[in-house]
Amino acid sequence: MSTRGFVIRRFFHTVVTMFLVLSMMWALFRLVPGDPLVIFLGQGELAPAELERIRAAWGLDQPGWVQYLQYIYNFVTGDLGQSFYFRRPVTEVLWEPLLNTLILMLPAVTIAIGLGVYLGSRLGWRRGSRLESISNLAILVPRALPVFWLAIIMLVLFSYELGWFPIGGMETIAFIPQTWWERLPGFDLIYHLILPLFVAVLVFLSDPLLIMRTSMIEVAQDDFVTYARARGLHEKTVRRIAQRNAMMPVITYSAIMVGFAFGGQVLLEVVFSWPGMGRLMVNSVHHRDYPVAQAAFFLMAGVVIVLNFIVDILYLYLDPRVSYE
Amino acid sequence: MSDAAVSTAGHGVGAPTKVSPFSLVLRSPGGLCGTAILIFFIVVAVLGTSITFGDHMEVHYLSDGTVARLLTPIQHGPLGTDYYGRDIYTQLVLGTRTALLVSIVSTMFMAIVGTNIGLFAAYYGGRIESVLMRITDLAFSVPFLPFAIILVVLLEPSLWNIIITISCLMWRTTARVIRAQSLSVKQRTYVKAAKVAGASDLRIIFVHIFPNVLPLSLLYVAFGISWAVLSEASLSFLGFGDPKTVSWGQMLYNAYISGSIRTAWWWTIPPGLCLTLFVIAVFLVGRELERYINPKLW
Repeated sequence: MSTRGFVIRRFFHTVVTMFLVLSMMWALFRLVPGDPLVIFLGQGELAPAELERIRAAWGLDQPGWVQYLQYIYNFVTGDLGQSFYFRRPVTEVLWEPLLNTLILMLPAVTIAIGLGVYLGSRLGWRRGSRLESISNLAILVPRALPVFWLAIIMLVLFSYELGWFPIGGMETIAFIPQTWWERLPGFDLIYHLILPLFVAVLVFLSDPLLIMRTSMIEVAQDDFVTYARARGLHEKTVRRIAQRNAMMPVITYSAIMVGFAFGGQVLLEVVFSWPGMGRLMVNSVHHRDYPVAQAAFFLMAGVVIVLNFIVDILYLYLDPRVSYE
Repeated sequence: MSDAAVSTAGHGVGAPTKVSPFSLVLRSPGGLCGTAILIFFIVVAVLGTSITFGDHMEVHYLSDGTVARLLTPIQHGPLGTDYYGRDIYTQLVLGTRTALLVSIVSTMFMAIVGTNIGLFAAYYGGRIESVLMRITDLAFSVPFLPFAIILVVLLEPSLWNIIITISCLMWRTTARVIRAQSLSVKQRTYVKAAKVAGASDLRIIFVHIFPNVLPLSLLYVAFGISWAVLSEASLSFLGFGDPKTVSWGQMLYNAYISGSIRTAWWWTIPPGLCLTLFVIAVFLVGRELERYINPKLW
């Protein structure tokens, strides 16, 4: 199959997956007990006749499949509905938390992958050394720590006890800079970002690191590495050559890692009171604000689906040996 | 091969020499440690209420009739009390039961569903394979925790619904790995011989292919156990746990919402430590299993 054919087919799959996730959401939220109109307007607020009028105006008297088509149409055209709790369009409610989530998650994932590749390639290269057996255990611990517990411990230790970092949130209310460095743009934000970012990197780091290590061990036995060595190249250069080839599984994994990071993100945002999408989602579920919960979830799933698509396409260019038959 | 698992396992199935995986796990210090910790947790869970001070919901009172809030370990029992005057040691012991129940049941479900999907997809190929693998792809595109939150709330928070939710997504990794492994097993001569001899499809799948992917399936059971325990704890910590049972995640949730995380270290440290120990123990055992299944990595 040609490259273009592959890209088109993968694109088609991506659209279908999005559609399936959307349909699944619709079906799931139909399971919610109770009349959606009553959830939205509150019990006994309106006369039954008035209620019927609104029901007809909103299309809630239509059969299921009409509602389903309407739902898909609205989602595709970017109309995510009204928030039950905030009484504003969902898109408006979601916009800022989405940005806040990205402020924390993008650097966390980038640093975790970069550091994971660097450390993993070194560990895999120096296989069997004492350093390796010690570090293997050291990687095990952050993998096993529950994210939220680690976050709580860090918060208690560094914010409450030592007072080095703020106790949560994204900004100091009525922040007045005292010294020249506090006047630097974004100082307050970065000050709030450090602790959650540190915990996030620690938690996300182990998977890319271990995958890189495994991949490096496998690549180290390949012929081209032996050849590079036989050419008398410096050991550092040989490692760099091996490393570039060993990175493929990490790239594949990155899409899944983002899905995993959204989960960690939810927990971190709750502990650190970070006003992001994860925290919004948890709160909206507690408030039974289904349109917001549903949109936040769909946004996260959408990012993962699109990333999967991008990774697949990227693979074509990064590894020409791969053929898509 | 894009899996959340530690390694790209799946090269040689079984070690060339016949060593029982159990003896291999027990021979290494890490495996021995892990097994010992797991046995400890199992014993604690089985003993349950016979080694605790009454029920986990029981509120303790001081001699003047007020609720015995936040007593330190020195003032009360081995581990003190929480903000609601309940014994922390009792909650910790009974939380072990929840952790084991959730992890064993959901991992069993994961192994059965994932292994079967992988086996059938690999064996039949064609349309069946593409449908099954598309479903797996769909499961992979769903972020785990956000989905679990929505599902648990829609199904009403209860222990069984948490188990159902965790099981709903966890099979995906197993399905992919088992499919890849079965594809290569399928090409072996004895499978072809069985086919020629007139064995039925189901017989070939379960008698000839399945035993060869079983070690790999078990390895993913080990990963799944730790994943399930952490997921349950995360859901409970977010306040979506079963209100009627006690779990380590729920203890941390209560400590967090009552605003006691700063002062009551005896409340926040033990459940987190138990979770970490449990997961490390499972990892240690799983790592030795992996060494047995895929010796090239070690």
